[in-house]
Amino acid sequence: MEFTALFLVVTVVMIVAWHGPRPLALTLFAVVLLASVATYLHHATDTLTLSF
Amino acid sequence: MTRAFAITLNALSLYAVALVLAAAFAAQLLLHELPCPLCLLQRLQFTVLAIGPILNIRWGLRPSHYALSLLAATAGAAFSTRQILLHIMPGDTGYGSALLGYHYYSWALIGFAAAIVLLAAILLFDRQFDRDDATPVAPGAFAITAVWLVIGLTALNVASTLLECGFGACAENPLVYELLKRGG
Repeated sequence: MEFTALFLVVTVVMIVAWHGPRPLALTLFAVVLLASVATYLHHATDTLTLSF
Repeated sequence: MTRAFAITLNALSLYAVALVLAAAFAAQLLLHELPCPLCLLQRLQFTVLAIGPILNIRWGLRPSHYALSLLAATAGAAFSTRQILLHIMPGDTGYGSALLGYHYYSWALIGFAAAIVLLAAILLFDRQFDRDDATPVAPGAFAITAVWLVIGLTALNVASTLLECGFGACAENPLVYELLKRGG
């Protein structure tokens, strides 16, 4: 669900960057970058199935 | 470097991102390999990488727009390096299949590193930022198509991740589409 939200926000940022005000696009960019780093920190300790 | 040429390079970079996103979808749909959370994060960073060129095409060339892409590429490189390190032990066959000998996260690191080098290279050309020539260049069909192609592929990822993860947290090792499983 978190990735659906992240991709949705990036889609919105792109549309705002193209059609909307530039400052809003820059603000939303900062939000999505911080959110992606936070998601990374959450998943960085994932235990993946190892093959050995 | 003229402004028009720099805009063309920005459009080409959007087509490159679109190619990466299409290749990721091809692996997911044709090879039936569901992307893991770290894989999705790297895919996401490729889409975030595209925001800088979109701003350059729409609002004119600015160093700050290139800086946004540099930040996204740096984060993406960190994410892919993390996944490479998860599979660095001898005997580990890695996550997913390999393409030309490298797994997708290795290709992602190469892609992000290339993006960082190319962004630094294009920032060397100051003339594109000349105030005397500050009138935004009206984007042509080539650039507009690139913008909407990337937006469309990013929107497809919204649907794809919703199918894969459902309404809960994404599985660490996804094997089935959660939403289809619940529906079936």
